Amino acid sequence: MKRILDYIVENRVLFLLVLFVALFVVFSVSVPGFFTFYNLTNMTQYGVELGLLALAEMLVILSGGGGIDLSVGSMLTIVAMIIGVLIGRVGLNPSLSILLGLFAGAGMGYLNGILVSYTRILPFIVTLASLYIYKSLALIIAVDPRFGPNPMPVSSFPESFYFVGQYRIAGIPFQVLCIFVPVILLLWLLLEKSFFGRYLYGVGSNEKAALFSGINVERVRVTVYTLSGILSALSGWIITSRIASARPDIGTGYELQAITIAVLGGVSIKGGEGSIGGVVLGIAIITLLYNGMQLAGIHQIWQLGSLGVVLVGSVLLNQVLLARRKI
Amino acid sequence: MEYILECRKIFKSFGGVQALRGVDFTLRSGEVHALVGENGAGKSTLIKIISGALLPDRGDIFYMGQPVRIDSPRKAQEIGISTVYQEPLVYSELSVLENIFLGREIRTPWGNIDWKREEEQARSLFASLGLPHHFLREPMGELSVGLQQLVLIARALVYEAKVIIFDEPTAILTEHETERLFTIIRKLRDQGVGIIYISHRLEEIFRIADRVTVMRDGEVRGEFPIAAVDRAKIVELMAGKLLVEEIARRGAKGDHPLLLVRGLTRRPRFFDISFDLFPGEILGFFGLVGSGRTDVAQTIFGLFRPESGKMLFDGREVSFGSPEEAMQAGIAYLPEDRKVQGLFPIQSVAYNISVTILRELVRRLGIVDVRRERDIAEKHIRELSIKTPNLKTRVYSLSGGNQQKVVLAKWLSVTPKLLILDEPTRGIDVASKSEIHNLIAHLADRGLAIMMISSELPEILKMSDRVIVMHEGRITGVFEGPEKTAENIIRAATGERMAVAGGVGV
Amino acid sequence: MTNTGFRKMLRRREFTVLGLIVVLVVLFSLTTERFMSVSNLSNLLLQLAGTAISAIGMTMVIITGGIDVSVGSTLGMASVVAGKLLVGGYSPFFVLLCALGTGLAIGLFNGTLIAFGNVPPIIVTLGMMSILRSLMYQLLGGRWISGIPPAIRVIGLGKWLGVPISMWITVVLIAFFTYFLSSRPLGRAIYAMGNNPEAARVSGIDLRRTTLFVYAVLGALAGFAGLVYVARTGIVQTNTGSGFELEVIAAVVLGGTSILGGRGTVIGSLLGAFLVGIIKNGMVLLNVPALSEGLVVGVLIILSVMIDVIRARGERS
Repeated sequence: MKRILDYIVENRVLFLLVLFVALFVVFSVSVPGFFTFYNLTNMTQYGVELGLLALAEMLVILSGGGGIDLSVGSMLTIVAMIIGVLIGRVGLNPSLSILLGLFAGAGMGYLNGILVSYTRILPFIVTLASLYIYKSLALIIAVDPRFGPNPMPVSSFPESFYFVGQYRIAGIPFQVLCIFVPVILLLWLLLEKSFFGRYLYGVGSNEKAALFSGINVERVRVTVYTLSGILSALSGWIITSRIASARPDIGTGYELQAITIAVLGGVSIKGGEGSIGGVVLGIAIITLLYNGMQLAGIHQIWQLGSLGVVLVGSVLLNQVLLARRKI
Repeated sequence: MEYILECRKIFKSFGGVQALRGVDFTLRSGEVHALVGENGAGKSTLIKIISGALLPDRGDIFYMGQPVRIDSPRKAQEIGISTVYQEPLVYSELSVLENIFLGREIRTPWGNIDWKREEEQARSLFASLGLPHHFLREPMGELSVGLQQLVLIARALVYEAKVIIFDEPTAILTEHETERLFTIIRKLRDQGVGIIYISHRLEEIFRIADRVTVMRDGEVRGEFPIAAVDRAKIVELMAGKLLVEEIARRGAKGDHPLLLVRGLTRRPRFFDISFDLFPGEILGFFGLVGSGRTDVAQTIFGLFRPESGKMLFDGREVSFGSPEEAMQAGIAYLPEDRKVQGLFPIQSVAYNISVTILRELVRRLGIVDVRRERDIAEKHIRELSIKTPNLKTRVYSLSGGNQQKVVLAKWLSVTPKLLILDEPTRGIDVASKSEIHNLIAHLADRGLAIMMISSELPEILKMSDRVIVMHEGRITGVFEGPEKTAENIIRAATGERMAVAGGVGV
Repeated sequence: MTNTGFRKMLRRREFTVLGLIVVLVVLFSLTTERFMSVSNLSNLLLQLAGTAISAIGMTMVIITGGIDVSVGSTLGMASVVAGKLLVGGYSPFFVLLCALGTGLAIGLFNGTLIAFGNVPPIIVTLGMMSILRSLMYQLLGGRWISGIPPAIRVIGLGKWLGVPISMWITVVLIAFFTYFLSSRPLGRAIYAMGNNPEAARVSGIDLRRTTLFVYAVLGALAGFAGLVYVARTGIVQTNTGSGFELEVIAAVVLGGTSILGGRGTVIGSLLGAFLVGIIKNGMVLLNVPALSEGLVVGVLIILSVMIDVIRARGERS
């Protein structure tokens, strides 16, 4: 029995699958209203928004060198506000506004990447500072001079804007089918099949050897931080579309959740290790957990707390496993 | 008690590699005992055991006549064994005084640090060594490296060291600082301290040591009073027995040099390096530690830019700003430290072999053609006889020899024109060594130009068409044909400047 | 001062910060008359006491090469504990002990995970930050605490010789920790660990104990800052302390402590706290939206760290 347990723990993806199934069964049985088509598909909506951020963290943490992105939540927020303000107040064409928002996300991510790669400032400091900078900028953008000095959400969108976040195809939310799944597939291709993915894992697992093998380490890192910005921007767009409002406080605390999911999914905090399959399962598990807890009447604040526990616990687990494997 | 420190039959291995095989070592009080040997000879392992950083697998250590178990650096310091490392372990922001006393502070009755008494003690220590002591309050980082080292010696004395180990102390010192260091070492010796002195600079050994032990391949090859031995003998013992091994070579040397190096300089590592390298030729680079060979190689590979001089590759003048550029031009470099610089330990064999040629294995959308990758990997595994369960095995589980072959395969995949090998068979078992030698010869026969850095004399003699010898950053000899003898090479390696005959454009 | 290295450092960074403070003071007093008023200045001092006190602990943590982003939640948690006990009629002294104890416990927990579990500080404290928020919410039951008895308010609002009592306490703490960091072996071990952990280990310094110590002290100080907060504002909310960590880290970093570890002084952090406080104050008085606070502080942190990095690179070559 111990050997089976050992094997499961060693094989992270399998472990997560088992955990997922177990949670699913537990919630289906004990929480009323869980096992309904409506609820399950509803759940996936939340999963998308958080999931995109978790995928962003995965990319950044894989690149090693203390890689982490604490600003994903703020980038989400600021892009949401940019899109909201451009559409709702400036009256710009929605598609153009969305494009600009995504571009802004890429730009912010790129900036993070440059600072991390070309100066020797630690990623957590760079992204911690940019977290506050972007959060602040989002609040500033949210101020509508017509209504006074306070940041205001934007709620006036054209009808067409909502379909990304609220429309369903055969009962499945649009953003899941047409954005999240393609993104996962693309990232899977990128990480597992493309040369860039190889470079990324190389840089993360042994930066020196990567340099000696002719890999451009800086370019790899700048790229993943930029991707992080784009994914955060996507999430900001989707959230805004779903809740029909661009709110300047929306992304608070998301970075913690994103990092937790990545680490739970098997991404090693040291870099160079972790698979997208694990992270996707991690997204599923956390989303499941939230949903189950909510339906069971547990207050939202407990989600945050339990997440903290999961985060620290997962890293500890990873450390233990790492120690076991003697290189 | 004849010896203050005695090591008997020390054995130590790391994951299947024997680093020390039954090593005996002794030290008397008031003696300077030099320890020499190439990288990988085992001397750093021995020192780590004596200084408490490692525990031996088997063997005994006696200190002041008593058996002792040195299980931590702290323990070593406490019983009186101190080490002064090559890269000084210092706290650059803290004052000199603190660097001396940290961990063993003198305290007032209140428990505060008694700076005054510390300063007094430091002053008298420095005075007894004939040193100035005006800089005690300065931050350590502002001192010259030479002075920092002296401070560390003072620190050893604060710990009442009876044995002080110096690990390549003069590598970073000027001539003047070296002289000062020697004066102090002599003073210490006269005061009864036992000193272990590790260095590859044989001239210094003869200036300062009373006895010398030569190590190679984890064994002691000889131990002599300094008067009973000369430089040539030491090098001979360090570099290996002069087995006459032959290797069949069929290829011919190309007409035009692939690589021309003129006046390459990068202070303080190497000066005025000039040589030619032809396709189909194996150019051996011999020299002792610190001779600058790796620095030259890494500069050619684009890891560093030279201060002056020029390089012509394939007829064009080149200056590589990164390994990426050098690779694209057709240069491959097999680094000295394969684990840290050459491999991705947690990745698979296939990954490691293909990582340098990923761009070429790419189909549409940047996807790697896994089938071609597999074919190439399998081809290399066959050709190099790499023993691995399968392509997916993580390389950290392979043996040293097979790991080295994987790194070789990785660089062969780029089908380079110039292959630089830095200690290609270090730490590898004899059978694999032979295989790799055959492979290298085969590659040369196929037209590759090969630059082979090695510290093993038999290997250099066996493999090289020509041998360039470096000493302290300069070329001291170029030998081929009848002149390519062990004696000539050894003499050049110890610093004798030989007629630089066949270096350039013969 | 017993250490020339110490004095030399003072010559550089801290005086730059002091100079900046003077410049800003002059700038603000010229652009708005309200700045130099007694009420504004004492308000300023009252508000930055908490930051300064926590910055002492954060300085030591960052010197060892760590970080603690849970300090805001620690302050909040201690506030909740203190608030509830005060409203419940317990003696101020007992409440003080409990606030300190709460902070200490949190700090020890962080320190243990970091020192013994080998979990990176950013992860531990990030996780702790949210765990504490949840617990705070639970303890508050979603409501505020108000009606703090006047006896305790003196810590937060009272003055002695015109200067707030909390500021006096801060000064005393600064003096003590300055002494501690320069004259006690454990204090010097903190610098040693940040400077060269390998050398420190070989010298026999217990890195784990030192790590545990710095996080525990930070926790306790943050706990005390929580009590001061309750005493000053008279209320405790669910988001008390949110964002506080940014101010504290900014104060420490701007005050000259290198994020890479190994250098920094608590006096510098005090000056840094002043700098941050004055900037915030000035922004409010100039009607710059409070929303820009994050922007300004964030940019300052990046600039400050960049200067550190450039200096470190210059020293190495």
